[in-house]
Amino acid sequence: MYNEIKKSQNRLDGYEKVTGQAKFGADLNFGHQLYAKTVYSEYPRAEIVSIDISEAEKLEGVVDIITYEDIPGENEMFGRFPVLAAKEVKYIGDGVAVVAAKSKETAEKAVDLINVEYKEKQPLFNMKKAYNSKDDLVHTDKEDNIIEHSHHLMRKGNIKEGLQKADVILERTYYTPFVDQAYIEPEVIVTIPDPYREGIEIHGSIQNPYSIRENVAKIMDLKISQVKVIHSTIGGSFGGKDESVMLMAARTAILAKRTDRPIKMVLTREESMLESCKRHAYELNYKIGAKQDGTIVAIEDEVYTQGGPYNNKAMFANWRGSVHATGPYRVENVKTDYYGVYTNTIYGGAYRGFSAPQTVFGSESLIDELAYELDISPKEIRLKNCLKEGDTFATGQKFGPGEIPAPLADIIEGVCEHSDYEEKRAEYKEFNNKHNEKKKGIGISCTIRGAGLGGEGIDTAGATLTIDQDGSINLISDLTEMGQGMRTAHSQIAAETLGVSLERFTFINTDTSIIMDGGPTVASRGTLAGGQAVIEAARKLKERLKKVASKKLDCKKEDIVIGNDLIYHKQNKEKTIAFEDLIEVCLNDLGISLSAQGWYNPGPEELDEETGQGKAYPTYVYGCAVTEITVDIKTGKVNVDKITAGYDIGTPINPQQVKGQLYGGLLQGLGYSLMEEFEQKEGYLKTDNFDDYLIPSIKDMPDIDIKLFDIEDDFGPYGAKSVGELGIELVAPSVTNAFYDATGRRIREIPLNLERTLLGKSLSK
Amino acid sequence: MQKIEINLTVNQRSYELKVKPNKRLLDVLRNDLNFTGVKEGCGIGECGACTVIMDGEIVNSCMVLAGQARDSEIITVEDLESENGLHPIQKAFIDAGAVQCGFCTPGMILSTLNLLKENSNPTRSEIKDGLEGNFCRCTGYKQIIDAVELAAEMMRD
Amino acid sequence: MQEFNFLQPENYREALNLLNEYHGKSKIIAGGTDLIVDLRKEKYTDLKYLIDISKLDELEYIKEDGEYIKIGSYTNHKSITKSDLVNKYAKILTLGCSEIGSPQIRNRGTIGGNIITGSPCADSVTPLVALNAIIVIESKEQKREVPIEEFYEGPYRPKIKANELLKEVYFKKLDNSYQGDFIKVKRRNAVSKARINIAALGKIDQAGKVFDIRLAPGSITPKPQRFKSVEELVKGREPDNEIIEKMGQKVAEIMIDKSGYRWSTEYKRPVIRDLTKRILKTVLEVE
Repeated sequence: MYNEIKKSQNRLDGYEKVTGQAKFGADLNFGHQLYAKTVYSEYPRAEIVSIDISEAEKLEGVVDIITYEDIPGENEMFGRFPVLAAKEVKYIGDGVAVVAAKSKETAEKAVDLINVEYKEKQPLFNMKKAYNSKDDLVHTDKEDNIIEHSHHLMRKGNIKEGLQKADVILERTYYTPFVDQAYIEPEVIVTIPDPYREGIEIHGSIQNPYSIRENVAKIMDLKISQVKVIHSTIGGSFGGKDESVMLMAARTAILAKRTDRPIKMVLTREESMLESCKRHAYELNYKIGAKQDGTIVAIEDEVYTQGGPYNNKAMFANWRGSVHATGPYRVENVKTDYYGVYTNTIYGGAYRGFSAPQTVFGSESLIDELAYELDISPKEIRLKNCLKEGDTFATGQKFGPGEIPAPLADIIEGVCEHSDYEEKRAEYKEFNNKHNEKKKGIGISCTIRGAGLGGEGIDTAGATLTIDQDGSINLISDLTEMGQGMRTAHSQIAAETLGVSLERFTFINTDTSIIMDGGPTVASRGTLAGGQAVIEAARKLKERLKKVASKKLDCKKEDIVIGNDLIYHKQNKEKTIAFEDLIEVCLNDLGISLSAQGWYNPGPEELDEETGQGKAYPTYVYGCAVTEITVDIKTGKVNVDKITAGYDIGTPINPQQVKGQLYGGLLQGLGYSLMEEFEQKEGYLKTDNFDDYLIPSIKDMPDIDIKLFDIEDDFGPYGAKSVGELGIELVAPSVTNAFYDATGRRIREIPLNLERTLLGKSLSK
Repeated sequence: MQKIEINLTVNQRSYELKVKPNKRLLDVLRNDLNFTGVKEGCGIGECGACTVIMDGEIVNSCMVLAGQARDSEIITVEDLESENGLHPIQKAFIDAGAVQCGFCTPGMILSTLNLLKENSNPTRSEIKDGLEGNFCRCTGYKQIIDAVELAAEMMRD
Repeated sequence: MQEFNFLQPENYREALNLLNEYHGKSKIIAGGTDLIVDLRKEKYTDLKYLIDISKLDELEYIKEDGEYIKIGSYTNHKSITKSDLVNKYAKILTLGCSEIGSPQIRNRGTIGGNIITGSPCADSVTPLVALNAIIVIESKEQKREVPIEEFYEGPYRPKIKANELLKEVYFKKLDNSYQGDFIKVKRRNAVSKARINIAALGKIDQAGKVFDIRLAPGSITPKPQRFKSVEELVKGREPDNEIIEKMGQKVAEIMIDKSGYRWSTEYKRPVIRDLTKRILKTVLEVE
């Protein structure tokens, strides 16, 4: 029995957010601040001949203007991003110069006065063309356009022999577009000179403060300790507030140092869409071999992921993709290859799911196609092949008791029963026979997802807990709160471990100068890794408290229990001391430290890079979704009516927040399925604000019914695993599978917008 | 460009201001009067993050010029909490888990306030009608609808 | 955001005087929901003055005048959707206006603004075309009336002079023997521009024949218009599926005649054909 976890508690930052008092980056202002604005490239690929800032400099109110020549350190950050383009612009979002002015309006005017002369070059837009090109290179110091370390593979069994055993082989290609995280808050950075450190202090909408710190130090030629990063309240990120804020932080840092004044840079929505990373666009080529009875014997796939001109994520995302390319199925013979490709387009980065929405769209469409090919129910073919106890995953990892749980068959059965999947298939068939304009369909998809970073990096995390004189407790993590509810989940875990109530807790925004770098807030690892660090910190404090209490209550330390904000002897409840009183003794009478750091380090995962075999992730989460849609076959409009989904995410620390993560993910997935994409014409972005980049409105929300399967798994804190990214990935394939059920037409490219639904292709001006 | 003089009442307090005419109500509220609970998400009247109540109706404050707000009465989210504590809608948003990143929350709450003023017992479909101009990227809307139902219930009691 | 001087006339006459004085370098701002988007993009190079009519009560009304309904140009979409008069006598306008933007947009955006912007997919214009609406335009010197169908030169190009102001739009009340409908195809279920919209009105006489039919498809031709040659096919006849099928085909053909074969035609041709059929079945009460 738990007191503080597995319980829907109100979020700790609720009050500040419902009253409008939460301070987001744009709400911060410092005396004498200047406003910065970037001059962006005018061409998707061009040589920079000259940059003339003379007219802009003359403008009243302009304080400083920088170009690549003004960068104190290296002009290259992680992922090959230049702070400002020097010789060549490689896409339309490249920055060329930055203005700092006394007002936003002046900065805007000055940007228009900067005259950059370009010599246009023929850009590389097409991913396959870029992949095959050896002479036309996005980065001329390379031999090809394949992103460094982005080729990841999986080799299991023998693909040739596997395919020979198959009764049926399907070859299919699927495509997914670039999409935006579309957080409602556009990016903001406010950088102030820090005279103490002779460095700088950076605030704003920053998902990963430590990587920003490191990159800014590098381009500023400062020591890491001279750069201090504190994130503000973040208005959503989903992986996105990373590269763009790194560029903004770098540019404003240079200006802050030069002008000795605070610099504020707020992106417009258009700038955000131009400059921030996108979900990589994919081309997934699959070959699947199966027996007549539906047993999968081999999967071979080659996946190309479009990276744009710079990329600091394809090397990680492609690895995750390669592990999951064959889906949650038992496949004895696997050959998987993922390649990231440089192009002169907008660029790929992290967005909730990090390869999964693309990969799962491919693999779950594929198995659905196989089901229809073999005339087996889409549910049955999944049940037949899904990973069960005793099976091995594509990585060679074994599933079963004492190892990785394999509950997917139960989840599929549960979700199908709950949604009346088979009954509705029959019902909709009948409906469709009677109706000519509207068709109904039902589709299924399921997934497995490695929890945490796995082989991407070491899943470390840190947390510091401090108890103050009055018994209030302060928690800081090196991971960031972006709205996902991490600070509440962490505090619940700390409260549970310490045996005190949640009301005592406050949580502060990550400040790189007061807590050590434990890695980025990514990969749905906030609870999984961060929670473990919190437990360790809490246990350390608990030990100290127990030790003092045992002296005070005159009993053995082992007999002391802390619970419900009391410290007492486990058999003799007379012997008790209030939490506050014990704190006072510790701090005032004995001078004991009540601040403790927790550090979590699961160690590196062991993997064979030549085959992809090994322990890719310590454990996995699972999901299955059944989606019902209505298609207006005369207009192409698809409406998602209902999503029934089941997930194993381990212990839900805060069930309400867990569901919130899943609902939010599902709706983003719905946008991915039906409406979200960037229209690009010759490298220019035609879609740059919410009038053209459509995200789901409240009226697009279907009925959603979620069931949590709390499967025992000892790995995470109190058995909790990962949830943040899981919601988004099941929607697109379940929608296209439902579309097939409704219309008998298979669409292998998302989104299912009006034109693609009606004509099988998108139209463009 | 000549500055213009405007009077406006924000959260029951009146202000006299001299502003550039190309300032939007959003700019006046955020920058001149420091009501930073009003948020800017898109600048083109699509997302609803800048929603305020103007003369009893919800508007996107990025779609109202400062001069057009002359003599009007504005309510922002800062007005809702009182001596008696949080407004029931604010409480309901917290209790129902309708807040994640919180950036859309002020606008969402103001749209809810007006919806419930016009309809004290809305159906889920009517709630969708009332909030269709406020985008949220985090929650998937479900818990927001729950919150509006909960608020309606609390306000009826 | 581009710069301008802001003029706020006290009354309608003063607005006309200001327009006369500053014509060529001024624009009217009403609800601003289209104009401010353009100002933010600094679209108007010659603009020096904005003349704000948002405080002019004289232009904000919905009234019954004999056999007509008259709507002042500064009447917002919400007022129209809530108006009993409009709902009773011109339901298709209620339907059209309720599809515009969001509550926030409908609270600010006006019918005059929607007409003046002249977007081919404007959700109030398509119903107004079906209603044979007349637009009243006034300058300091003169007042004129134009049928809405004749008001446009092309997309976003209303035929209005720089010193003229759109004062009112009016149309004949429909008796309750009319059936009307408005259909909008959109990419998202809210806050969405029409990909295609269509408004139609039909009246069947006691003999079961079509007494009146008005068909106004939106966003498929450069100028909003009724497709009268298509209407003629069914006028005075008993409507049936065969004729409706033919009318659908014909609308698609006329669209291509008038707009040429464009990038979107491949989509719009079948869709407008089928939407025409769908709406005709409703308004002509054909099973």
